[in-house]
Amino acid sequence: MNKQTMKTRRWMFGLVTAGCALWLAAPLQAPAEVTDDAFNALRDTVQKLSEQVQGLQQSNIIQQQTHEKDVEQIQQLQEKLAETQQIATNAEQKSIEAAQAQPPARQPIDEATVNHNFMILGDAEFQYAKAAGQHGAFVQADFAPIFLYRGGDKILFEAGFDTTLQNGQNDAGTHDSGSSTSFDLSFAQLDYVMNDYMTLCVGDILLPLGTYTERGAGWLNKMPDDPLAVDALIPGSGIGAELQGGIPLGDSGKLLNYQVYGVNGPSSMDGTGSAGQLDLGGNVGIQSSGMTANLHGHPTGGARIGLFMPFKPHYDLELGVSGQSGEWDDMGSHLYTAGVLDAALHLGPSFEAKGEYIMARYGSDDHGLVNQQGWFVQAAYKLAGLNLELPVINNLELVGRYDSLHGAYDSNNDAFDFNTRRCTAGFVYYITNTLLFEGDYEFLRSTDPSQVDQLILQLSYGF
Amino acid sequence: MNASKQLKTLVQTTFATLSAIVMISGLASKLYSAEPNAAAPPNPDSASSPTNSVASQAKTPDAKPAAVKKQLTGAELYSMHCNRCHPERYPTERTAAQWKTIMLHMQVRVNLPGDQARLILQFLQENSGR
Repeated sequence: MNKQTMKTRRWMFGLVTAGCALWLAAPLQAPAEVTDDAFNALRDTVQKLSEQVQGLQQSNIIQQQTHEKDVEQIQQLQEKLAETQQIATNAEQKSIEAAQAQPPARQPIDEATVNHNFMILGDAEFQYAKAAGQHGAFVQADFAPIFLYRGGDKILFEAGFDTTLQNGQNDAGTHDSGSSTSFDLSFAQLDYVMNDYMTLCVGDILLPLGTYTERGAGWLNKMPDDPLAVDALIPGSGIGAELQGGIPLGDSGKLLNYQVYGVNGPSSMDGTGSAGQLDLGGNVGIQSSGMTANLHGHPTGGARIGLFMPFKPHYDLELGVSGQSGEWDDMGSHLYTAGVLDAALHLGPSFEAKGEYIMARYGSDDHGLVNQQGWFVQAAYKLAGLNLELPVINNLELVGRYDSLHGAYDSNNDAFDFNTRRCTAGFVYYITNTLLFEGDYEFLRSTDPSQVDQLILQLSYGF
Repeated sequence: MNASKQLKTLVQTTFATLSAIVMISGLASKLYSAEPNAAAPPNPDSASSPTNSVASQAKTPDAKPAAVKKQLTGAELYSMHCNRCHPERYPTERTAAQWKTIMLHMQVRVNLPGDQARLILQFLQENSGR
């Protein structure tokens, strides 16, 4: 260690020693003096601070309590929300299940599930008629229900009835008295579709002599009454069996229709061959004694061939020829033969024309060969075809008919000399497509005194 | 020393920038090339003017249209047959099951072939009331 360093250390020791000595020797310093005001001020400040701290503590407690309440409330709301969501989910699920359970709208019903179906169709007519020389009268003209029962795809049973209300007679038979209701079975047949082109029909079948009987009767006719020759000259139905069908000719819709049938046939009211005894509506197979038998020895056969030629929708022509022949008296000595030529034309949705020529010829004991004929032509035009767009006019159809009957039977004179010509002008007002208001005036020229001019108004409903 | 370093940095920066521009341009051109080409090139053999029709371009010169046998639809058969005798009956008037019964009745009355009756029935049922 060098001298300088020793010297330095000697000086430092000495300074330290002096300092300690001075410190030991120096008197203690007296503390600073605090005034009362300052102390009170300090005390007040501390007190205030203490109060503030207490207030803050209380406020904190309150806020803590409020927070806890809020938390509790939030929990409750969350629970309720969860419940509501669950309810909504369940409701949605139920609505989906309900929608799936509902049957789809406008879906064709599977035919395998609807094999049987019963329906009532038909028509009803109510008239007001005023014949020349007679009082006008309201008439419950006809109530004709048709029962349809379908058993499967190929079997149909159909039956039609006619209900008419007519005056009765007093006991003496000298005046009308009371009323009688007649309920007539117009047809009842069982149809079996053997294939697309052949159907077997058995029972009390509508006969295809012309087309009026099958397709023009009731509300289908645009006139309130039938053509003269149809009711007078040919039978409307017969008990028997028929094979019928339609064969397409090409792809344009052209059809060849055929119908071949055998029925018991006309009969004689008294069994004889007297011309006036011809009965077109009897011989139904069960006699009044209960025996099952034809009134004469052989059934009657008949057929119709028709050609339907469509040119385009609402434009078509149908031509047909039909006839039947068979015995009519009990002995089988005389034949009854009927023939019909029929035609129907449509030229657009507004115009149609149809007509038939009807011939009936039969042998008899007293009048020899009886020849009867008649025909009718009917045309109709819907005024909607004029495109006038007027409300009443658009629903109106004008109809005209000319028909004649030659050789009708005069029972008073036992003669076939009733000849009638009739001209009919009428209208059809379509209240709806099935509720028709018809009216016509018939101008009659006849050797039959019962045939007179008449006005007929008819309300007709097809259902 | 610093100058060379700066030059090096500048070169690197420039190269990076150019690379980014090239990449972006390439991606953009791919996106636009994915749209369909509306203007088909004209057939050089055709004398007619160029057309935008795809169908005409797909037709080969040797193709012959197959003969189509026209069959009447249910609606056509309905309009042909179903107001010959009575006013038109609307399909909504009846249910599908009722139409089946009615059509069997009509098939007998009018002597309709079975296939035509089924087509009309299908038309009626598809437009039936319920």
